[in-house]
Amino acid sequence: MAVAPMTKVIDSDVHPWVNGDIEGLKPYLSSAWQERFEGRLRLPDHPLRPPLAGATSIRHDAKPPSGGAGGSDPHFMREDLLDRYNIEYAILSSIQAGKLATLPNANEATVLARAFNDFFVNEWLTVDSRYKLAMCVAVHDPAEAAKEIRRIGHDKGVVAVFMPLLNILMGNRYYFPIYEAAEELGLPVLIHPTGTEGGFETSVSFAGGVPSTYIERHTIFPEIAIGNVVSMVLEGVFVQFPRLKVVVAEFGYTWVPHFLWRLDQNWRQFRREVPWLQHEPSKYLLEHVRFTTQPEEEAEKPEYLLQILEMMHADRTLIFSTDYPHWDNDVPQNTLRHAPETMRQRIFYENAAELYGLA
Amino acid sequence: MFAMKHYVAPVSQIPDGQRLITTVNGRSIGIFNVKGKFYALRNVCPHKQAPLCLGSLGGTMVPTDRPGEFEYGLEDRVLRCPWHGWEFDIATGKALFGISDRRVATYPVEIEDDKLYVEMR
Repeated sequence: MAVAPMTKVIDSDVHPWVNGDIEGLKPYLSSAWQERFEGRLRLPDHPLRPPLAGATSIRHDAKPPSGGAGGSDPHFMREDLLDRYNIEYAILSSIQAGKLATLPNANEATVLARAFNDFFVNEWLTVDSRYKLAMCVAVHDPAEAAKEIRRIGHDKGVVAVFMPLLNILMGNRYYFPIYEAAEELGLPVLIHPTGTEGGFETSVSFAGGVPSTYIERHTIFPEIAIGNVVSMVLEGVFVQFPRLKVVVAEFGYTWVPHFLWRLDQNWRQFRREVPWLQHEPSKYLLEHVRFTTQPEEEAEKPEYLLQILEMMHADRTLIFSTDYPHWDNDVPQNTLRHAPETMRQRIFYENAAELYGLA
Repeated sequence: MFAMKHYVAPVSQIPDGQRLITTVNGRSIGIFNVKGKFYALRNVCPHKQAPLCLGSLGGTMVPTDRPGEFEYGLEDRVLRCPWHGWEFDIATGKALFGISDRRVATYPVEIEDDKLYVEMR
């Protein structure tokens, strides 16, 4: 198949890594906190590992020559991702920081979130202006999370707020201080699988029970996004925060049409439960929520995927992502090759440029 | 086609707060007595053809400005379908608050002495 011509590309899901977890964050922790973490400097892994070399989700061939894990060297990533695929901006979100969801202690999670942010602001954003940061927050303490957003959210390198979720749905007003701060600073909030789901008491639970393999937990990631998006729309988050945007990263997207329709169908029946919605719920979703492309969904026939893109209004709602340096990363030239060129431009660049204010 | 006046029942057969489901001119309709005011509607929900006039009559949650805020209103104006709960204005037959642009047919009611008539085309 011919390689589709590419114009400009924004990559909305890229994962940098801090070698040694908390060990690597030490320069950004007070001596008291370094002492507090002594002897437990590693963040825990989900017990269900990918059945890949090293049981890691990081590509073996993305290891930088400088040593360390794939994704840990901003100079190597510049060559291996930005230059190689001609990416204009890469939105960095730390899935390593997603492991904060395993911590039962709000003080620890808050301090580590701040250290992750200072690390990436100092050691990544300074390397190349194409790097943009989805800063992380510890949602364990929403008031402190809001402070953190106001502390660094003004930095022009910070373009989103990554919320590693606890087992509380996003429509819950528990999170409202975070949304208030994000809206105030014009930053979308971003959710992404934390990789801890179903594995820890504080992490997001899977519906029905606990999966028993990596293939199983990976396959059912979408249910987390479905529950949270539906919760936000119906609980009136976008009524309360009319300028807030949400990025749903790496949760798939072919399920979106079903939930657009199902939301509206149920609203016609049960509107009186949520009388604060000013119009059908699907309109809130289309206006406020964006989905990333990776992993590109492999439909039985390419035309099926095109139909779904149309059903989900992908020219507004879908944004390209690689997920570099993970095992299942997509590259721009091989992604959505069958989509019409005008839609590709929206997906690969314009939707994200508008979302993050990078136009 | 001109509207025709059809006799339905003696007025006394539908006391305040009651309803009568009957067939007039081949159509199933419901006649409601709400505090002495009479309404007649087609007994077919435009959504899934359920027997709408067997649904509950009352008020509903009117639109509010803030999440978590409820305001109950439109008492005695809202006919709710017994199947999916679609809500209609009993006076106009319109679905409420933009849930649908479909509407249920309504018929003018006339009372002469103790006789209740509806107008139907």
